[in-house]
Parts: sequence; structure tokens; C-alpha cells
Amino acid sequence: MTELIRLEGIKKQYLLGRSEVTALRDVSIEFGRGEFTAIAGPSGSGKTTLLNIIGCIDKPDSGRVIIEGHDVTATPLAALASLRRRRLGFIFQGFNLIEVLTAHENIEYPLWLAGWPAERRRERVNELLMRVRIESHRGHRPRELSGGQRQRVAIARALAGGPIAVLADEPTANLDSQTSEEVLSLMQELNLEQGTTFIFSTHDPRIIGKANRVVWLKDGAIDESLDISPMRRPAPADCVTA
Amino acid sequence: MKLMHIAYRNLFRNRRRSLITASVIVFGAVALIVSGGFCESMFVGLREETIRTGLGHLQVYQAQFLEKDEDKPLQYGLDDCVRVAAAIEKTPYVRKTTAQIDFMGLLSNGDKSVVFLGTGVQPDREQAMGFSLDITSGSDISTGVGEDAEAVLAIGLAKSLNAKAGDSLTLLTTTTSGALNGLDVKVVGIFSTHIAEYDSKALRINLQSAQILLDTTKVSKLVVGLDRTEHTDAVSAQLASLFAEHRWPLATRRWVDLATFYRQVVTLFRAIFIFLGIIIFVLVVLSSSNTMMMAVMERVREIGTLLAFGTARRQVVTIFVLEGLLMGLLAGLLGLGAGYLSILGINAAEIYMPAPPGSTDGFAIVITKVPALFAGTLALMMVTLTMSSIVPALRASRLKIVDALGHS
Repeated sequence: MTELIRLEGIKKQYLLGRSEVTALRDVSIEFGRGEFTAIAGPSGSGKTTLLNIIGCIDKPDSGRVIIEGHDVTATPLAALASLRRRRLGFIFQGFNLIEVLTAHENIEYPLWLAGWPAERRRERVNELLMRVRIESHRGHRPRELSGGQRQRVAIARALAGGPIAVLADEPTANLDSQTSEEVLSLMQELNLEQGTTFIFSTHDPRIIGKANRVVWLKDGAIDESLDISPMRRPAPADCVTA
Repeated sequence: MKLMHIAYRNLFRNRRRSLITASVIVFGAVALIVSGGFCESMFVGLREETIRTGLGHLQVYQAQFLEKDEDKPLQYGLDDCVRVAAAIEKTPYVRKTTAQIDFMGLLSNGDKSVVFLGTGVQPDREQAMGFSLDITSGSDISTGVGEDAEAVLAIGLAKSLNAKAGDSLTLLTTTTSGALNGLDVKVVGIFSTHIAEYDSKALRINLQSAQILLDTTKVSKLVVGLDRTEHTDAVSAQLASLFAEHRWPLATRRWVDLATFYRQVVTLFRAIFIFLGIIIFVLVVLSSSNTMMMAVMERVREIGTLLAFGTARRQVVTIFVLEGLLMGLLAGLLGLGAGYLSILGINAAEIYMPAPPGSTDGFAIVITKVPALFAGTLALMMVTLTMSSIVPALRASRLKIVDALGHS
């Protein structure tokens, strides 16, 4: 699989009160095009920090982040914003839709940011609304949608600009099991249809089981990286945490 | 346009808080419009009253009168006022002129004498110029001279001599040659200028009677009445050219240069208005800054999301600044409407104010609708709200994405 994102020797520490916490220690990993990868591990293992660094919304203390062959570690913030706008999509645990915008407008927003003309935006949003099966709720605001519907809108928004990768931080954590299944199935479908790379963090064994690659994190380091497709890997007991 | 869209909808996100902020703005706008309109009404009223109670729009003097002190009465008076008046009355916007003599002396009823400030006037010409005198009893003077000389006394002066219409009094003063002279006058009326200090000393007699009393053919000045007060400066300039052309050693003074009381009132009320404006500005800034800061705190995660999607930090600033601007515009427009209705209500209610210091009568409140004040108030509200949103906006734009996304 063609290399898309590579991390080399990533270290990241945080200050928690007065004590320093190591979130990532010497993490090196590659992600290829079209992957459907779960970053798994218990709470505090560094999953979100790793996703943030891959998504260029956080910077490592040391190490290199290479996206599509370009080292973006020292890239200025404004250029990183441009990179995120054009090449990356995000899905959040809490959906993070813009409350004052309708489903249609939420999906349209990244396209507007990227400078798409109005007619193309409208066509693309309609296409996505149909694809995530939420077209009848296009005029609804987030608070008028169920959790599953919101996450569908969030998925459509993440995919709107045709990103090289969609980064999803615990995308099913706030959903019931049935809705989680539906959302994951949708992400899988989109991954297979469009070849978009999905990298998502989770500690839910049922979700991990759907990934075709699982990266296990433990105490900020990669414990194991397994290509499990098409087999199903049983979840270890230590990843089933609340 | 998208940012404007988001900013507009955010105004209605927390309706109660927006309503409170809007109420402060509306209250501030109404306060500015009503108080400013009241000041303007007072200024115009006082200006026109000042002009029409004898000051005129312009006064023409012999130049030396304005430069030197007189050793004798009318030493620097106007000699040939009829010819000068005729030339002035040919100037555009000039309605008419009237001559006046200012003099002072003692007014006696035989038992008691008091100091007076007299004015010799041409009542028929003053009437033609639209000048008015508030006669509280009796009537104004006619053209009678000599033994039939008439006088009207200001209310305070009449009271000090216990004089009333029909009484005979004697004016004593010095002539232009320095001799003592007297003139018997018949009181035909009592008037009021509504300025207590002036009312205690003023009296008016016919110009010719004054000339007889002072033994002169001169006058102190020519008072010029215009069709509109706004033409004062233009006519003043035209008269300066006229005098230069004829080589007349004359000079003009505008009403505003002579109306000391008017200037004091305007200065005082403008200072009060500016003070009120500053209070309202501070009130609106504090209220709206707090609102905007709360909006930032409530939307930290949303700001993090916007930034994560590649929204530029300046665009985040723009959203909050636009929110301030829109709030200022919408609430400001509401304020203008409320101010307009308030003016209509107050004017219809005919509320009376007590007599101001130095005045003898109360007056009905009249609020003028001043378009410039409406526009200025709206602009002030928009600028104030925009300024109030800058600090919260900058704070929002400087959030670290990771921290903002983790905010609960």
C-alpha cells in the first residue's frame, strides 16, 4: 500500500498540574492509502495525542511528521491550517457540529473554507447527504438530530473536501451499540468505495474488530501493530475500559 | 458571507443574554437620542429667543466702538445710520434693520431711584423683523416722543419701584456732552426676558426719545434681522465687503459672539451630553464585553473545531467581531426606533420643567428629532460593540486547538 503518513520518533509530553506526563514516547509508524486503521489502547495510552499529531493540530516535542512525502513538523501554523483544510478530515467523539448551522451547512462549511464555488458545493453536499442517508434532515440543526444522525453529518463533513485521510477520535463513544455499528459500517463502506484512509481511535473491542489494521498503544508507545484483515482479532481484556 | 451567516445566527444562540445586551444598547441609544434632542431643542429655542428679543442676527457698530472704551455716551456711535441701514437692507437674506441706543442711568418714581439699563428701540421696525417681547401686562411702546414718551419696564425693575402700566416715572442720565438730563416717561407695559438679572434692570423707550434724552442724533448700533439664522455667516461676510467697498469704518458682530448666556448654556449642556455619552459608552462596553467573553467561553470546543478544519485565526476573529457589529447594528436600530417613539411620547405628554437657574419661568419639554444624532448614535453603538468584541475575539483566535477540543 502506498505510504501516506509517516511518523518518526515522535515524543510528546504534557504538563498535568506540576507533573510532566509522557503521552507518546518514540513512536514511529506509517499509514498507507486506503487503510481502515484502529488505534486501540486503554484510556491514557496516547491514542488521542497520536491522532492530533497525525492531524497536524498538535506538534510533537521531537520526531518528524511526514505527510505525502513532505515533512510538516516545522511547518508554520497558517500553512498547517491550509493543509488540514485541503487534505484532512476530522470526526470527533462529541460530533462537534456547528450548532447554528444546519446539517447541509455543516457539511458545506469545509468546502466554503477551501474556496469551492457555490454550485459545486451544493452538488457535493447533496451527494454526501444522500450517501450518509440523511438527506431528509438537511435543514435540521444539530440539536434536532439524534446522536447517530449527527455523527453521519460529521462523517459527511469530514469527507466533503475529498481528504487523503479522515481522523476519527472515538467516533462511536457517544453512541449506543446499534448506532455504533451503523456508523462504523458507513465508514467502512466509504473506505471501500472511495479509498479514503480512515484512522480512528477506540477502545471498543467490537469496533476494533472491524478494522483491517490495529495499532495497539500502551503507555504512549506502540505495543503491537497488526494487519488483521480479513480475520477478526479477539479483543484483549485490557482494552475494554470505560 | 459564511462568516456573516454564522455571526448572525450566533446572536440568537443565547436569546436571553442577547436580549439583555440589546436592552442595554437600546436604553443607551434612547438616552442619547432623547437627551441630545432635548439639548438641540433647547439650543434652537434659546438661540431664536435670543435673536428675536433684540439681539438680531448681526449687529453693526462703528469699528472704534469695539476697540476702545467710550469716555462719553455714544462717543463711538453711528452717525448716518439711515444711509447705512438702506445699504444693508439691499443685501441678500436681510429682512430688515433697526437702530438701537444703549444707555444707563437712574429711574425715579419721586420717592425712590434705581439704576436701569435702557434701550432706545424702533418698535415698528422690530415688529417687522419678527422680534417679540414678552409683555406680561399693558402693551409695548408706540412711537410717541417728548412729553408723550412711553416706556416698558422689565418685571424686576417695575417691582423694585412698585410701578405698573399707567404710572409716570423719570429717567435721569448724562447726555453725549456729559450734562445731566431727564425725561418723563409713561409706563405702558411690563415685560419679561425670563433672565432674572436682566429683568431687574431693563427698560425700553422709543429710539427718538432716547436720542432726545441723550441729546444726540447718533445710535449705538444697527441690529440686522435675516430670513434664516443659518445665513448669519454669509451675510456677515457680505457686509464686511460692503463696508470695505464704501470705506465705512464699520464692523459687524454675529449673534453668537454677543450671546454670552447662550454660549454658556450650550457649553454646559454639551459637557453634560458628552459625560452622558461616556457613561453610556462604558456601560455598553462592559455589558457587551462580558457577553462576548461568555460567548467565547461557551464556544471553546466549537472554536477548536473550526480551527481544526482549517479556519484561519483571522476568520475566527472576524466571526466574533461581526457578531459585535451586527449586535450593534440591530440593537442600535431598535434603539433608534425606541428613541423616535420616546420623542413622540414625551412631546405629546407636554411635560413641564421648572425654571432653570437665572430664569423666571418653567418651560415645556420639547425634544427635537435630529437626523445627525440618530446616525451618530447608531454609528457609536456599532463602533462600541465592535470594539467590545475585539478582545474576546482575539482570545478565541489564540486558543490552542488541542486544548479547545478537549474543553468540556
